[in-house]
Amino acid sequence: MNRTPPTKQASTIEVVTFAFMRRLESTPGRYDRGIALLSGGRIGSVYQRIAELVARPGVDVLDIGCGTGGVSIACAARGATVVGIDRDAGMLEIAASKSGAAEWLELDATEIEDRFEPSSLDAIVSCLAFSEMPPQVQDYALSIALSRLRSGGRLVIADETEPETRGQQMLYRIRRAPVVALTWLLTQTTTRPVRDLRAALSEIGFAEITTERPWPSFQIVVATKPS
Amino acid sequence: MSSLFDTMLRMLPHRAPTGLVAVGNPDRSSPVLLTGNYTVTVQRVRRVLAGQSVWLLVADSNGINVWCASGGGHLTHHDVISAIRTSGVQDKVDHRHLILPQLCATGVERSRIEDATGWTATWGPASAEDIPAFLDRGEHTARQERSVRFPLRDRLEMAAMWIGPLVPSLWLVLWPITGAAPAAIDAGAVALIVLALYTLFPWLPLEALRGFPVYLVLAAAGFGVGAGLMTLTGLLHTGTLLWLAAACVVGTAIASIDVAGSTPLLASSVNPSDFVVELIPDRCTGTAECVLVCPREVLVMDGHARKVQIARPGNCILCAACIVQCPTDALRFRFDDGHVVEPDVIRRTRMNLLGKRKTVPL
Repeated sequence: MNRTPPTKQASTIEVVTFAFMRRLESTPGRYDRGIALLSGGRIGSVYQRIAELVARPGVDVLDIGCGTGGVSIACAARGATVVGIDRDAGMLEIAASKSGAAEWLELDATEIEDRFEPSSLDAIVSCLAFSEMPPQVQDYALSIALSRLRSGGRLVIADETEPETRGQQMLYRIRRAPVVALTWLLTQTTTRPVRDLRAALSEIGFAEITTERPWPSFQIVVATKPS
Repeated sequence: MSSLFDTMLRMLPHRAPTGLVAVGNPDRSSPVLLTGNYTVTVQRVRRVLAGQSVWLLVADSNGINVWCASGGGHLTHHDVISAIRTSGVQDKVDHRHLILPQLCATGVERSRIEDATGWTATWGPASAEDIPAFLDRGEHTARQERSVRFPLRDRLEMAAMWIGPLVPSLWLVLWPITGAAPAAIDAGAVALIVLALYTLFPWLPLEALRGFPVYLVLAAAGFGVGAGLMTLTGLLHTGTLLWLAAACVVGTAIASIDVAGSTPLLASSVNPSDFVVELIPDRCTGTAECVLVCPREVLVMDGHARKVQIARPGNCILCAACIVQCPTDALRFRFDDGHVVEPDVIRRTRMNLLGKRKTVPL
């Protein structure tokens, strides 16, 4: 093909353009740094807490939207058999480079039914993934999660959320704005607060729904499939 | 008004609600058309479909237009499968057939939708404006409808999108420094540069040296006009001239960033440029899937040989749609240094970090 040979001398415009486009190009590579920034360094403790809630030797765990593998790897470290699914192959590439202890599959939350039999899992976990889904997809994923869990199996959803009191909500929005802007500039990563899932969970048929707040704008919802 | 607002903000991801939208009075046999959830896209598709009765299935493309979302991995078959399963469309129609926008072919694998959902999919035209004709013709695209166009109207829209925010902000920034009148001339010169860039776009040699000579000439022309105006109005000093030069350079640089994003027309300036699409004739079975998705009429079907040919390699913008869709893996990228990037790698990561993919296979 007739193409102009690349020049060695990059122009200023070209450098600016290039740097700008490069930043947009490899978001998965900067995901971990972005999430660490947004959570003020606290995300690692969330990964550990989720693992503590569900993972032990011999249990089958599915991690929905596993991203770069933080939760899956924490669960696998406690001896669970873990499958991490994500729709982004770039994220899975990074997860796989960190650990071979879990299985990594390129699947969307709405494709769980294509790979997992009903009542085949002891636990389903998901961290910072539900907030990425449109509401109808969240509901669909919750129904599928219920059907794929064994009786007594646990669902754990950890996500950013709006604080409960009005004052805290205001404070949260004011404090969040500059952090979100800075994190976006540095890493093109962001999170969005998820809606309150407790009502949807109980409507779909989950029981024993409890909530933990490791900090005011973050919640870990735990629900159980009734016998 | 809201559409003007949306146009000005079109650089930012701009989410429309996902799900099924009834356009006109669709029934159980009406066609189902897929699009992404970029507000401007949804508005545009609805506008061109006025008078039709169809279902519009809005998939989650993270608020990004179909082409950019598909090339960057934000609109893939996962989103389409998700939309089919969660939108309720399966209860609204009796058929199981979907029309995909041609420009999603870099990210949406048609065969994966069919495998997962049982829905068959057809490639629609490249431009939404051609959808009514496509439907009238019984869902067939004419050759020219598969080609990406950038008509004057669209080009002026892009120019307006940049001039809108750029000119007032430049004027406001420069006013305290140089005074209102010289600042207005600076902002006017930048407006002229942007307008010239988009009006003359089809005739500018933007492929050469990543467009740098073009940008240099445009910046110089804007500077010349501005300096001329300053001479006529008696505002010409070293100070005002320097700020005019700065405004022209910054304005051109910002406009050039956008041109770098005109990837349906020009090869991406992010990726390396020392590679081409390679056809492996032995693997080609002549399904012509690649011909249907190429936005630049690069590939043609040789009816006698029942194989595809790369007829216009100079047109290729290296988008990889053909590589992603080929059911027999007969196309791939070949770099000048002999490295090849196979279709399975492109399907997983698309054009992201292509330079890395050639030496570090997944």
